[in-house]
Amino acid sequence: MAFKGISIVVARCLSSLELLFGLHRGLSQANLRLVADGLAGALAIGVAAATPAAAQEKPGSLGLGIFTFTSGPAAAYGMPGKNAADLIIEEINAKGGIEGVPVRATYVDEAQGAQGVIAEYRRLAADAQNQVMVAALSSANCLALAPLAEQLEVPTVGWNCDTHQLLIDGKRKYVFRPNGNTVPEFIAYAIYLLDRKPDVKTVAIINPDYAFGHDAAKIFTAALKALKPDVEIVAELYPKLGSPNYQTEISRLATARPDVVFSNLWGADLENFVRQAAPRGIFTSSQVILALGETVLQRVPLPDGVIVGVLGDGWWMSPDAKANPETAKFAERYKARFGEYPVFPSIKMANTLIYVKAAYKAAMQKNGGKWPTRAELADAMKGSKVATLTGTAQTRADNDGLVDQIVGVTVKTSGQQFPVIGDMVRYKGESLMPQAGQDPFAWISTLKPEFAKSLPKPGSYK
Amino acid sequence: MLNAIIPLLLDSLASAALIFFAAVGLTLVFSVLRVLNVAHGSLYSIGGYVAASICLFIASRQLNPYLSFAALLFSAVFVAAIFGPLIERSLVRWTYGKSEPVQILVTFGLFLILEDLQRMIFGVQSFYEDAPMRLLGTLTIGGVVYLNYQILLIGMALLVVIGLRLLINHTRLGRLITAVVTDREMAQSIGIDTNRIFILAFSLGVFLAALGGALATPTSGIAPGLGADTMVLAFAVAAIGGLGQIEGAAVASLIVGVARVLAIYLVPSLDAVAPYAAMLVVLLIRPYGLFGSMTARRI
Repeated sequence: MAFKGISIVVARCLSSLELLFGLHRGLSQANLRLVADGLAGALAIGVAAATPAAAQEKPGSLGLGIFTFTSGPAAAYGMPGKNAADLIIEEINAKGGIEGVPVRATYVDEAQGAQGVIAEYRRLAADAQNQVMVAALSSANCLALAPLAEQLEVPTVGWNCDTHQLLIDGKRKYVFRPNGNTVPEFIAYAIYLLDRKPDVKTVAIINPDYAFGHDAAKIFTAALKALKPDVEIVAELYPKLGSPNYQTEISRLATARPDVVFSNLWGADLENFVRQAAPRGIFTSSQVILALGETVLQRVPLPDGVIVGVLGDGWWMSPDAKANPETAKFAERYKARFGEYPVFPSIKMANTLIYVKAAYKAAMQKNGGKWPTRAELADAMKGSKVATLTGTAQTRADNDGLVDQIVGVTVKTSGQQFPVIGDMVRYKGESLMPQAGQDPFAWISTLKPEFAKSLPKPGSYK
Repeated sequence: MLNAIIPLLLDSLASAALIFFAAVGLTLVFSVLRVLNVAHGSLYSIGGYVAASICLFIASRQLNPYLSFAALLFSAVFVAAIFGPLIERSLVRWTYGKSEPVQILVTFGLFLILEDLQRMIFGVQSFYEDAPMRLLGTLTIGGVVYLNYQILLIGMALLVVIGLRLLINHTRLGRLITAVVTDREMAQSIGIDTNRIFILAFSLGVFLAALGGALATPTSGIAPGLGADTMVLAFAVAAIGGLGQIEGAAVASLIVGVARVLAIYLVPSLDAVAPYAAMLVVLLIRPYGLFGSMTARRI
């Protein structure tokens, strides 16, 4: 036990030292990172090796490191995730915890940047009580943490992590994503658009200026070009993440006069864009697609007919969700606590925690009711199929998730004061995913119009 | 052709107006106090938060929506009256005559405090209140819909440039400020209360920063991080125009505005770097900025 304690302390010191040295420009940061990573990894393995018995006994509490944005413009997306985690964990603990062990969450704010997030991850991982990391929201942070998760052998479940690059090599043992990724998410919009507006000729794109925005534009464009080669991209804008003002970009979009404006702006950026673009007529002059539009339905008066979705199946008012009493209960509790209904980041987080809970159950069934080690837990996640609040999260052999994609358009109803999603379609997760190990862009380039015709049509999901 | 140029021109002017409001207070404070106020961006965002809060209050009480225009101005006066004298007397005055690193460290510390204060008071969610923008409606030029509020901002920026020049050249306060800027010791020796001038000049700088934030609120979101972005942009503008030069700030804002707009229209990937590329080019040609000089200091 003494060794375990010392190991934790030293590992924490290393994390701090790494941060400190990261600020010192005179030293070789790459070398220091290598040394620090290696030592921390060795120490973490030491921790695990020194506590084999403890890993098999039920601990007093189960620690979860939960990574999300709780500050900055991205908090508009991150806080609903945290809110959902609070609620689900409360609910789990009210029912006795996971397999009798109460859950204790430690939240890490991703707004501190990748260096801080890595240090926090390492600090939490060094404590054997933290068996699982629910990390992260930002694709960039997910990519930064994945090698660390493998090195420290900590099951890490991406609750958002959209980038298709995360599990592309198929070699991860400890990193899981019980969600779709950018490939099915943005192909779904291309297919829905062509079903709804088959005569589309010109498209303008306005996405945030980082991997998620550029990847989405590439995938959406590649799918459109494959399914309708004469579509022309007339403007591609990538404003800085966190930009408060889009007036010039809106003028540029207006002068391009596109048939369609596609955007995967999110958080406060999306709210700002919608509020600034609506009075300037963008929503009336073009068919607008807001890939993350569901997150602002309750905050911003979106006009009818905007194509929106939930980057997965996490729409709390979908037919499947409505049919699930647990989902209805969760939505009402969320509304009562936080003043608005859950948005899809909330559902993604809730589903991820349900996924973790199911993994514990499966792991304990497999090893005869003993509390699982981190490795046993990771084994239980592989190939799992878990019923969530809004559908099913299936984990493939490459640890990537298969989740259905719901897309629709904004409509007003008498039941709600805000627009909801109507004319919906629900694409099967596996139908929009390349095979494990297959290059996604090579796969997209093989798509033919017949492929789109074989899929369900807008309005078919009722 | 005209249809292509008009949007470029209007967007450049509208963008320049917002940038000018962000930078003019910084340059004014430097010209009088010789202090580079790193916390300037925070005061800009505080102005925005206060304006949005008052406008939201007006909307929630269903008061006359046109009161929101008065609220924009009032919020800037309110922020200047509270923060101007407080910051100048408690912190900035200790840095007069000190080296630039000391001044920057002190105001940077203040920046960090103000940023955290904003998080504590206003939270982390984006603030948005667009009543003034909605009240003024839109107009269509060259097939592009513009907000009348954007045109109003261009007019307001021009008014501020002219107003500041009139204040400096044609009022007693302006002459006192000019005397202090020209020779602080001499001004003191002939009986000018330089402390009072410093408080007034700093508060005027805070007012301009807060006014910029308040005027931006109806067309932009206010969220944590805005202060830092504003500060960096304001520094670039001040460097291009020449530190301490009001007209320099106006011309520099126009250059940065045109650079940004051209980038968005023609090379969108250069959008973020365009203002700083413009700064680099200007500083390579004129190291003290367009209106700056090595020895003389003018306002």
